Amino acid sequence: MEGIKGYILKRWQYLLKKITWSLFTILFVIILNFFLFRILPGDPARAGVRDPRLTKENIEAIRVRYGLDKPIINCFESLNPIKIGSCTVNPLDTQFFIYMGNLLQGDMMISFHTNQPVAEMLSERLWNTIVLIGAGQLLAIIFGVLFGMFSAWKARTAIDYGSLTLSLVAWSIPTFWLGIILLFWGSNNGMPIAGMSTPGMSSAPLLTRWGDIAQHMFLPTLTYTIVYMGEYMLIMRSSLLDVLSEDYILTAKAKGLSVFQILKDHAITNAMLPLVTIIAINLGFTVGGVIQIETVFSWPGLGMTTVEALNRRDFPVLQGAFLLIAVTVILSNLLADLAYSYLDPRVKTE
Amino acid sequence: MEAHIASTTQVTSRFQDFWGVFRKNYMGLVGLGMLVTAIFVAVFAPVLSPYDPSSTQDVTTGDIYNAPSVDHWLGTDDAGQDVLTNFIFGARVSLTIGFFAAFISLVIGGVFGIVAGFYGGRTEEVLMRFTDIMLVIPDLPLMMVVIALTKPSIFNIILVIGLLYWTTTARVVRSQTLAVKSRKFVLRARSIGAGKGHIIRHHILPLVMPILVVQAVLVVSSAVLAESTLSFLGLGDPTALSWGQMLNYAFGRGAMSTGAWWALVVPGFGIVWVVLGLTLLGQGLEQVLNPRLDTHHLMPSRPTVKSEAAQRSSEKSLLEVKNLSINYISEGKPPARAVENVSFTLKEGELIGLVGESGCGKTTLMLGLLRLLPSAGQIVSGQVYYKDQEITALSDEELNKIRWRNVSIVFQGAMNALNPVRTVGDQIAEAIRKHLPDFPAEKLPARVSELLELVGITSEHKDYYPHQYSGGMRQRAMIAMALACEPQVVIADEPTTALDVMVQAQILDLLDQLRKKLGLAIIFVTHDLGVVAEICDKVLVMYGGVTAEYADVDTIYNSPSHPYTQELLKAFPDLTKPKKKLVSIPGYPPRLDALPAGCRFAPRCPLAFARCHTEQPALHELGDTHIVSCHLVEAPK
Repeated sequence: MEGIKGYILKRWQYLLKKITWSLFTILFVIILNFFLFRILPGDPARAGVRDPRLTKENIEAIRVRYGLDKPIINCFESLNPIKIGSCTVNPLDTQFFIYMGNLLQGDMMISFHTNQPVAEMLSERLWNTIVLIGAGQLLAIIFGVLFGMFSAWKARTAIDYGSLTLSLVAWSIPTFWLGIILLFWGSNNGMPIAGMSTPGMSSAPLLTRWGDIAQHMFLPTLTYTIVYMGEYMLIMRSSLLDVLSEDYILTAKAKGLSVFQILKDHAITNAMLPLVTIIAINLGFTVGGVIQIETVFSWPGLGMTTVEALNRRDFPVLQGAFLLIAVTVILSNLLADLAYSYLDPRVKTE
Repeated sequence: MEAHIASTTQVTSRFQDFWGVFRKNYMGLVGLGMLVTAIFVAVFAPVLSPYDPSSTQDVTTGDIYNAPSVDHWLGTDDAGQDVLTNFIFGARVSLTIGFFAAFISLVIGGVFGIVAGFYGGRTEEVLMRFTDIMLVIPDLPLMMVVIALTKPSIFNIILVIGLLYWTTTARVVRSQTLAVKSRKFVLRARSIGAGKGHIIRHHILPLVMPILVVQAVLVVSSAVLAESTLSFLGLGDPTALSWGQMLNYAFGRGAMSTGAWWALVVPGFGIVWVVLGLTLLGQGLEQVLNPRLDTHHLMPSRPTVKSEAAQRSSEKSLLEVKNLSINYISEGKPPARAVENVSFTLKEGELIGLVGESGCGKTTLMLGLLRLLPSAGQIVSGQVYYKDQEITALSDEELNKIRWRNVSIVFQGAMNALNPVRTVGDQIAEAIRKHLPDFPAEKLPARVSELLELVGITSEHKDYYPHQYSGGMRQRAMIAMALACEPQVVIADEPTTALDVMVQAQILDLLDQLRKKLGLAIIFVTHDLGVVAEICDKVLVMYGGVTAEYADVDTIYNSPSHPYTQELLKAFPDLTKPKKKLVSIPGYPPRLDALPAGCRFAPRCPLAFARCHTEQPALHELGDTHIVSCHLVEAPK
């Protein structure tokens, strides 16, 4: 803990810069998110609740309920730049600031479809996604790093070429298709194929319930692991190859250290450093993969929620889910940046 | 006009060069083949497909999900249509979207990258910050939202993918532009007042192009994947049946429950085929454009060739090298004879200077002593003894006990010889922990401080990282590390070359003092005869991998017998004769893969005669410890 304290004291300027930058990025996403959902041709209320039986009064009521009757922001009645609105309205009474104010209070409107508050809906689902990503990511990193290390160490042998080819193939398979294939295989072998748990399990003892969830998790996690393992393997291999041709590895060899000691104490720590950044940058893609996996396996997470909301044109949920996903990814990136600068003493602090 | 022709032929020859290398890259060739096949299928879809996809043939419920048969080689889908036909036409949709989207993203990324890299300053700052933001926003959710809010048409899908997939291209192109910008001919073009547009078009773009091509290949593959994912999630163009759309229909309409694996497997196979082909092609291109050696220090070196042990000299020596020869072996080429038939002995407390120009095999010899050669290097004959142990015959485990404990090395250019993520003190302590396991742990920090102080580094520096040290400090820290286990022999491989004269003198002084204080034997490798004149006992002059002359220091300086030694001495300033002209030897040492037939020094030797060019001189013993390889020293006729 002493180390972390010292690190913060020494590098507070760097930390502050990184944190400010992340906050700025989040603000950008929030603003993008707000306007994205308002460039829609037509009326969001009508598009969202596509019901021909709705009367004018009904639609108006919906508009009022979602605050869509208010001007977007000062001077702009809507996003149509030709229709200039009044600039003297109270800014707090415009859609933009109401949206921002609500967000600050954790309020993300109500689902068109279920009438449930979006924030509540999403926080439930977020955990399911985190469990899936966590397990898959962990396994993918462990196996990817191991295979990558082995491949680099045995560079230019059959082992190396074999695992290189496998990684490239794994990289080229669309996640959802791998999911479908595994699902097909699983359903023929009596595996649970949809959802997170067997219906009616909620009253079972805790251990049975967890075992049931683990069974349901097996195929989605396997899909995730295969898809991302290849990439980590490639990165670890190339990174370790770079490190192993450095002079200090020759020094370590001259010091009489065994191959295992050199790998453990000199090579792997250095080779892992670029991996930290890559894992973070990958989180954006990871989310893409998780959306596909959740859709294929009906895993009740954020991804499935997003796709459901998409098909129902449930814009508040879609908007909320997008925001939540983006913010999570930005924060993980921040975390990885900080971890990297903590691990690598060479990172410039200015 | 002439200039134009010249540049065209230049481009053609560059392409020929490229193709010459690329055709040997199997990965790239396989990828190219896969891609060409896919494009062929897409272009000739109407000819290749067994049915017409647009015909509204009467389909009955009995036609749905039929297993593969003679009529339908790959079965039928949820609408009773031929899967093979849809698969072939699907290639058109998927590839079209992939290529157009990639084109858009390359244009955006290329412009962003070149502008940011070329103009720099504020422009670069703003553009790259924006790129950073776009890079962290997860792309699939954003694409989903945008397409859901607009309309899922082919046009929109191309646009959205194109507008989101340019970030990597921008970054890669920017760094390439930065690298190109500072090259000489660009600077020259700027100084003669060429316009910015002209420079970008004629100087920057041609050099950024190769990277853009690699990037293009990778972006097309991402775009194909993105399109199939969007289509699978129900955001594809309903009027165009891409592979992703086929999967969407099959998955959503009961292919799974009816067991119609063909409807699920076939379209996915198409996606994997195209994406894998592009990935392989991209990897292949990358390898051709940025070749890198896949060799490293942990690769097993070639086994030492056992040769008949020669008679050891009767004197008691610490280190004895007997007729050592080392080759570098690369496939398809004759072996490069880096070290040939070199012998010397090192006694306790002795300092031997190993002198020669760069590329004369000094470092190879030193690495060979502890069997630290790169994987291409091989000891092909001779022996190295440490006391009574034959290093050339030991197992790796036994050798590891001698390395550093008895014989340690200070490497050339200590810049990267220390691990950048561990403190210097920790790396010194590591050597002690490894070789002296009984050393009390609580005394370890004090010992490390003592070692650092021995080489003139204050003890508080022991918790610093190598990058916090100056070049001279790093070199001295290496020496401290080399002394950590109190070895009997220290090999110092050009420890002073990269340093300024003052530091050089300090380090030499330090080594000499340590030798006297600790009774070390030192092998000092240098290309500068002057450096070792004052401190060494014996000198071994190497040229082109062989011993030119080996003698005690007085003989070497006062009566050198080999013309190479004589020439080296002429190149070295003598303070007692200030008017003397300094003469450097014209020419360069021979390349190891193109050694002359006779004496290796003959092409540069002022005294060479006919025999020197045809016959390699033997090692002549002039005295007890004076060996010369020159035809001139043969018994006078």
